[in-house]
Amino acid sequence: MNSLPKLIQQCKDLAFDLQFTRSREWKAQEEGRVVVGYMPVYFPREIIHAAGGLPVAIFGGGDRKQIIKGDAYYQSYICHIPRSIIDLALDGHTNHFDGYLFPSICDVIRNLSGLFKLNKLGKFVKYMDFPQNFLPEIGGVFYQQEMQHVLHYIKEINGKEVTAHDLNHSIALYNTNRRLIARMYDIRQEFPWRMTIEELYYVLRAGTVIPVEEHNDILEQVVAHMEKEIGEPQDKIKVVVSGAFCEQPAVGLIKAIEEAGCYVVDDDYMLGSRMILGDIDPSTDKPLEAIANAYIHQSQYSSSIYDVHNPKEYRLAKIVQDRGADGVIFASASFCDPSLLDAPIFQKAFDEMGIRYISFQYSENINQFKVIKEQVGAFSDSIKLWEDDKALVIA
Amino acid sequence: MENPIYTLGVDVGGSYVKVALMRYFHQSGNHELVDKQTEKIRKRNPKDVVVDAVNMVLMRNGLNQERDIAYLASTGEGEMVERKTGHFYSMTSHARGGIFFNPEAKTVVDMGGLYVRAIKVDSRGKVIDYKMTGQCASGSGQFIENISRYLGLAIEEVGPISLQADNPEVPSGICAVLAETDVINLVSKGLSTPNIVKGINLSIANRVVKLLGSLRAESPIALVGGMGMNEGMIQAIEEISAENKRNTFKFTSHPNSIYSGAIGAAIWGGYRYHKLKEKQAVLAV
Repeated sequence: MNSLPKLIQQCKDLAFDLQFTRSREWKAQEEGRVVVGYMPVYFPREIIHAAGGLPVAIFGGGDRKQIIKGDAYYQSYICHIPRSIIDLALDGHTNHFDGYLFPSICDVIRNLSGLFKLNKLGKFVKYMDFPQNFLPEIGGVFYQQEMQHVLHYIKEINGKEVTAHDLNHSIALYNTNRRLIARMYDIRQEFPWRMTIEELYYVLRAGTVIPVEEHNDILEQVVAHMEKEIGEPQDKIKVVVSGAFCEQPAVGLIKAIEEAGCYVVDDDYMLGSRMILGDIDPSTDKPLEAIANAYIHQSQYSSSIYDVHNPKEYRLAKIVQDRGADGVIFASASFCDPSLLDAPIFQKAFDEMGIRYISFQYSENINQFKVIKEQVGAFSDSIKLWEDDKALVIA
Repeated sequence: MENPIYTLGVDVGGSYVKVALMRYFHQSGNHELVDKQTEKIRKRNPKDVVVDAVNMVLMRNGLNQERDIAYLASTGEGEMVERKTGHFYSMTSHARGGIFFNPEAKTVVDMGGLYVRAIKVDSRGKVIDYKMTGQCASGSGQFIENISRYLGLAIEEVGPISLQADNPEVPSGICAVLAETDVINLVSKGLSTPNIVKGINLSIANRVVKLLGSLRAESPIALVGGMGMNEGMIQAIEEISAENKRNTFKFTSHPNSIYSGAIGAAIWGGYRYHKLKEKQAVLAV
């Protein structure tokens, strides 16, 4: 078993490798291998794995890439992630990718898929609509058809006919992946000092750019370390960070929240890897239906899901309660419509429920966090020192 | 007789690390400053400076961190303090430090190395409202340090020399980046060193008083932070305030004002120590 610092460093290197080296190596190891890039937030990676492909998340350049070409495609009042994604693609970082998937999140990502088509990037570009109707016989069937389209694109490249056995095998691997990730969060809920949120982020994000088998191996080792008594507890409040994270904040921001006096006991930074709650049935003869049903019945709340019958504000409040959190930090990417449109809904509900929160905006390329740190520090102190006073709300 | 607890506050600023050792009597609620230490960071690793300063205080008092310190609280750049119990935001710490120096204070002005912040507080040290200077470094302690270096003065001399001014000239604008040029201009105009320093103090004082006005601050106002020990600055603030007939504030200062953040953090540490103990006792029942 590798040491924890070594595993964390390995994950950090993988997570921020803008050349996607591991996927290049993986593709070069065998003839006919297919690499498929997908954008945030969620995509059922199981189907790409079953088709002999490697799904690789493209989370943009963050604060590690200077944007030159991307700015020519987007107005200044559009969020930052699409410009850094197109910049990465046009600069050849993803030349070895065979196709690109754009899960339905917002208009900006829809337009980004159009830009990839116009620039003839990859062998296929698919904008994937997710069901907004949560009846299995309507939305579920539609979703299965969308997944069939993706399998068809991959088959045109590698000729592989995907069987139920292939899909069930992949589902089982991703079930293990989800279980191990859930275990990490459960350990952190009780012992958040055993691994920082920054380290947890590296471990999760690394899993989006490497084969699931390798990630499961890393996760098993990390969990084994986390089961031991490591680290020293500090006097911090517990918070849940919610941001409908498509555009990722810089690591400095993720770190700053804990440095300012909080333990982050739940978050949606890597929402895609945690979108399905629990296992998907890995033993059915209709695995696509099982994946679709899992999305309909077992998905986490998200700004990109229309959930009028299962309001997200109550689901987030339940997470806060279950995790024993003292409050919520809302972080929205600048100009992110889904997140910013949800914000007043959450805040109105939390005012009524008496859940403490703060909110701020960020951009992936901003790495000055003093103001955010001060806001979080004041929030933490208000709970630590004045918890008996009336709930403090800083909007 | 109640056994007190010892708490340590470590305030890591832009230029200095300040450490305060406090003794806290829970039943009476009394706090005593036992010892203090300031270390200039210079070009050293701030983490090493923190360790040295803490060890110095512990050694001088025959204490051991694990055995004797109930709570080690960081404030300021808290990530530089590795072996801490908890962290408090610098405004929270300075507000409490200001109340420690002057329990009657209704406003605390933290005049530190990087900015000036006016904080309205209640009698418990709870922050009610605040205003602070912007990102620009002019009007900060670091700026005064730069000026003193250009004038060939030790930082300790800046306050007393300002008191000797007889005809200060307030510069039209102060920019930390262009400070050296500003000073050369003032020297070439034939101004004496006391008049240059006083003029700069008046210029900063003007900003402080404007900040207090915009906060609708109430007196008495406790001046804390590194610049709170600079008697030239205090005099300048009082003069500017006296000129403003609508907002005449009453100020207090303290010779240990540089330790306000460290003291405030240590006091909050004592509070949290007992609060956590109470919570554990409740859980154990």
